[in-house]
Amino acid sequence: MRKLDPDLAHRLAAEYALGTLRGRARARFEAIARADADVDAIRRQWEAAFAPFTERVPEVEPPARVWTRIEERVTRPRGGWSSVGFWRSFGLLAGGVATVLFAAFLYLAGSPRGEPAVVAVLISPTNEARMTLTLQAPDTLRIHNVRPWKSVQDAGRALELWALPKEGAPRSLGLVANAPGDFVMRVPMDDARVQGVKAFALSSEPAGGSPTKQPSGPVLCQGMAGPVKKT
Amino acid sequence: MTDAAQQRLAELLSRTAMGDHAAFADLYGATRAKLFAVSLRIVRERALAEEALQDSFVSIWHHAADYARAKGAPTTWMAAIVRNRSLDLVRRTREFPDVDDSLAAQLVDESAAPARDAEAHDAAHALGRCLGELDPEQRQSIALAFFHGLTHSELAAHLGRPLGTVKTHVRRGLLKLRDCLMRAGHT
Repeated sequence: MRKLDPDLAHRLAAEYALGTLRGRARARFEAIARADADVDAIRRQWEAAFAPFTERVPEVEPPARVWTRIEERVTRPRGGWSSVGFWRSFGLLAGGVATVLFAAFLYLAGSPRGEPAVVAVLISPTNEARMTLTLQAPDTLRIHNVRPWKSVQDAGRALELWALPKEGAPRSLGLVANAPGDFVMRVPMDDARVQGVKAFALSSEPAGGSPTKQPSGPVLCQGMAGPVKKT
Repeated sequence: MTDAAQQRLAELLSRTAMGDHAAFADLYGATRAKLFAVSLRIVRERALAEEALQDSFVSIWHHAADYARAKGAPTTWMAAIVRNRSLDLVRRTREFPDVDDSLAAQLVDESAAPARDAEAHDAAHALGRCLGELDPEQRQSIALAFFHGLTHSELAAHLGRPLGTVKTHVRRGLLKLRDCLMRAGHT
């Protein structure tokens, strides 16, 4: 992608933050900002510059039903998948990621019984799909690591996979190799650790895993649990 | 909002990133009225503003971990999500946008008065003072675009000016604003 010169980046970021950059131009600028940390920093500067405007808007109380619906949507197991249309339009996710999600959705919708089911696609903070979890057999989770984390390797740290239940603390599923490719992990479907799981997350932990039995390092990627069909 | 309040929101966001529902509920409680108001000014319909707020908080739930990368104030990060969603939802053609020109004027006026809460209003003070340096038409265009999500064409219709003139006002206004804010050390 062509590098934006700083003046143009400022002009576009200012109109983006102001809201006058619209439609395709807006989507295009978002894509550039996601790919270019310098442009992203300029975008954030402009959003911060206008922040005092927001402080001055007199508050308006929303009706209680808004929260009821939010709660429904974040606790519904299928929420992450059934709202694909929303994510696609939202613009926070890279087009590529939306495509991956959509492909996974189609795959699940059309997959005959007995084939591996996609459990989750874990997305990085930069909106890249970095890891997929599929159910290879009823008691076997196949983990596909798209590419290793160099920062984790350089720091001599480890990757730990967590199951996030609807309520309560994350549960460790164990360490995952920081190498590209597929790995399998035995997790019986009746394993207490995956009951009522809403999402999965991968964190960077000291070698040997988190000393606190809870995620202690940064979350590298995470994703909603998809509908797992019993095979 | 004070630094302590922002710090508390940052903590709620990091707990939300780990799937903590109680923290998420507190986060909603602390920000809903401001964010609903931000959306309502852009979309102008309560039903649409409700939808924008709902979608935004579902997004915040899923993307709370991204906040750590954004580095700024939690309210800025959350308001950007709400604004983006509202701009997506807003009715495309509004011939006579129902707008209110008073907020920007208020911001400029108050910046001339001694800051009441220097710590929290430092940035607001700089923005207000810098807006004060703009031509009135530039200032009005920028405020209308920000508060009401008006496009260049809608601004032109509202102000009764040619489209090209309005685009130039916005562009030059933003350039001046940038120079002024840079001098003030705010961007």
